[in-house]
Amino acid sequence: MAEVRLKDVMKIYPPVDTKKHNVKHLEVTEKGVVAVQQFNIDIQDKEFIVLVGPSGCGKTTTLRMIAGLEEISEGELYIDGELVNAVAPKDRDIAMVFQSYALYPHMTVFDNMAYSLKIKHVPKDEIKRRVEEAAEILDITKYLQRKPKALSGGQRQRVAIGRAIVRNPKVLLMDEPLSNLDAKLRNQMRAELLKLQNRIQTTIVYVTHDQVEAMTLGDRIVVMKDAYIQQIGTPQEVFNHPANTFVAGFIGTPQMNFFEGELLREGNDYSVKYKDYVVKLSENKAKRLAENHVESQSITFGVRPDQMRVGEEGLTAVVEVSEMMGTSSHLHTKIDGQDVIVIVPTNGDDASEMEEIKVSFSGKMVHVFSKEDGRNLEFSV
Amino acid sequence: MDKKNKRAAMQLAVARILVYAVIIFLCFLCLFFFVMLFVNSSRTNNQLQRGFTLIPGGHFFFNMKNAFTDSSIQIPRGMINSFIVAAGAAVCTTYFSALTAYGLYVYNFRLKKIAYTFIIAVMMIPTQVSAVGFVQLAYKYGLNNKLWVLIVPSIAAPAVFFYMYQYLKATLPIDIVEASRIDGSSEFATFNRIVLPIMKPAMAVQMIFSFVAAWNNYFLPALLLTKAEKKTVPIMIAQLRSADYSKFDMGKVYMLILLAILPVIVVYVFLSKSIIKGVTSGSVKG
Repeated sequence: MAEVRLKDVMKIYPPVDTKKHNVKHLEVTEKGVVAVQQFNIDIQDKEFIVLVGPSGCGKTTTLRMIAGLEEISEGELYIDGELVNAVAPKDRDIAMVFQSYALYPHMTVFDNMAYSLKIKHVPKDEIKRRVEEAAEILDITKYLQRKPKALSGGQRQRVAIGRAIVRNPKVLLMDEPLSNLDAKLRNQMRAELLKLQNRIQTTIVYVTHDQVEAMTLGDRIVVMKDAYIQQIGTPQEVFNHPANTFVAGFIGTPQMNFFEGELLREGNDYSVKYKDYVVKLSENKAKRLAENHVESQSITFGVRPDQMRVGEEGLTAVVEVSEMMGTSSHLHTKIDGQDVIVIVPTNGDDASEMEEIKVSFSGKMVHVFSKEDGRNLEFSV
Repeated sequence: MDKKNKRAAMQLAVARILVYAVIIFLCFLCLFFFVMLFVNSSRTNNQLQRGFTLIPGGHFFFNMKNAFTDSSIQIPRGMINSFIVAAGAAVCTTYFSALTAYGLYVYNFRLKKIAYTFIIAVMMIPTQVSAVGFVQLAYKYGLNNKLWVLIVPSIAAPAVFFYMYQYLKATLPIDIVEASRIDGSSEFATFNRIVLPIMKPAMAVQMIFSFVAAWNNYFLPALLLTKAEKKTVPIMIAQLRSADYSKFDMGKVYMLILLAILPVIVVYVFLSKSIIKGVTSGSVKG
């Protein structure tokens, strides 16, 4: 049992450091540079939480505050119901996997994994049993007597994870653990992390800048930008109902297409208009907009590339480049000078360069955002 | 074409000869004094007075017997004293310099920069200057003729600190320290069990250097050690050299010098590999 609760947690770095670092995107107050703004979340026991965002958004800082490696400037952090703001990392009963693995170079794999248990004076045979069990789970039993430098990147990664899980920590923290692996190994380890979580049944907080990792691993995702939480939700929620244009653009590859258009209201019916092209929004969407008393206005709306259809009518798009991805092709097109990506199945529409096509989209898949602050108009503030 | 090639080959040969000549000259400079020491230690005082030769004499063991039976010095005692001081100083210097370097490298505190600058500034002060006060202090509290008084000041070694600091900067990622903290290790345990082993090459090389420096040190021991049973080897050599005319024996002096440098030679012969490794490692990240 270990819930983690962050209440109004903030990280403020002293102003002296601002000259050295690029902090233009962050708020600078009298106290200093705010790297993490009012962070509030209740992490359930055994939940897999992923913090995701572009570099410099404060996700690693948040993780390090949970670990105790970084002081919490304001707010409260509870692990298992206990306030731990002033508790040293060694007494928080957490484990962490570092981006650089941070294995002890002079120790064998066995000693690396056993170190935390030795410090706690766990009996020798118990240490042996637990290390071997963890090694078994991670398939590194053969390497127990090797030093880290005699291992490949993927194997080192497993050792780092093994060192963390051997202690049965209350919370397991992971800081971009897969970012140093090559693409193939990363996919493989991602699947193994999922299996691992089912097996070890512990609370995991995971940091990544890769939205694919976030979508596949997280029970819930926390999307961050410029020190602020943008949205907290399940992968489905974040993908289908992005809270604002940033989340909409950040989650999903290729990126969502945005259009500057008009929202038209007629009674309880809504439609979006771009140039002469008008699409009626689905009932569900119209209902939510009506509930929020959204009137006709200028808006930004977004459509994901895989929801764009090529057909007889719609907006005129000029295909500039066609990327063959295998089962589908990504068409990089221009509509009125604006970049728009359209995904088409490979066997069908074979659009070559500079060809003009007509693209359309359905009202079910349009995301409507406020033009002023970019928030999703379907959801109340 | 052929001519050109020949000329290039000639030039290369000349350059090579020059390089070898320089290296041979440097080798000669290094080794000549050791050979002379060995030759001289096998000649009697009389022979030595007559002048310089490269042919060893036959009185090596005669000189050794003389040295060991000289009543004014106790060679075994001196060797032990020297060893206690040198080993103690080597351990203290390296351990505490590493500890200081670690503290300044890993922790962030307000006076960090000032502390670093201060330590580096201490390097500028010659030992002779600070020794005056130190010797006075030692005599005032009756600490002369105590070996540990020579060991304790070696804790403060700015040059060794600087070397350790550079070495840490090149080899120790902060992540490892943080990983150890999260693993539940205390700050001292992290230093002793994680950081020290990583610093082993740097520790080894500095230990050798400070051992040799302390072994050869004459200045402070000469000021502080007056009792015969507390004297270190360099003081004994000086004592033999300044003996009055009737007792003066150059053969004995050379023999004692030879005995004095023996441990140093042994250290270098056996540890030269790790010395080279230690001197070069840390400079390049790898």
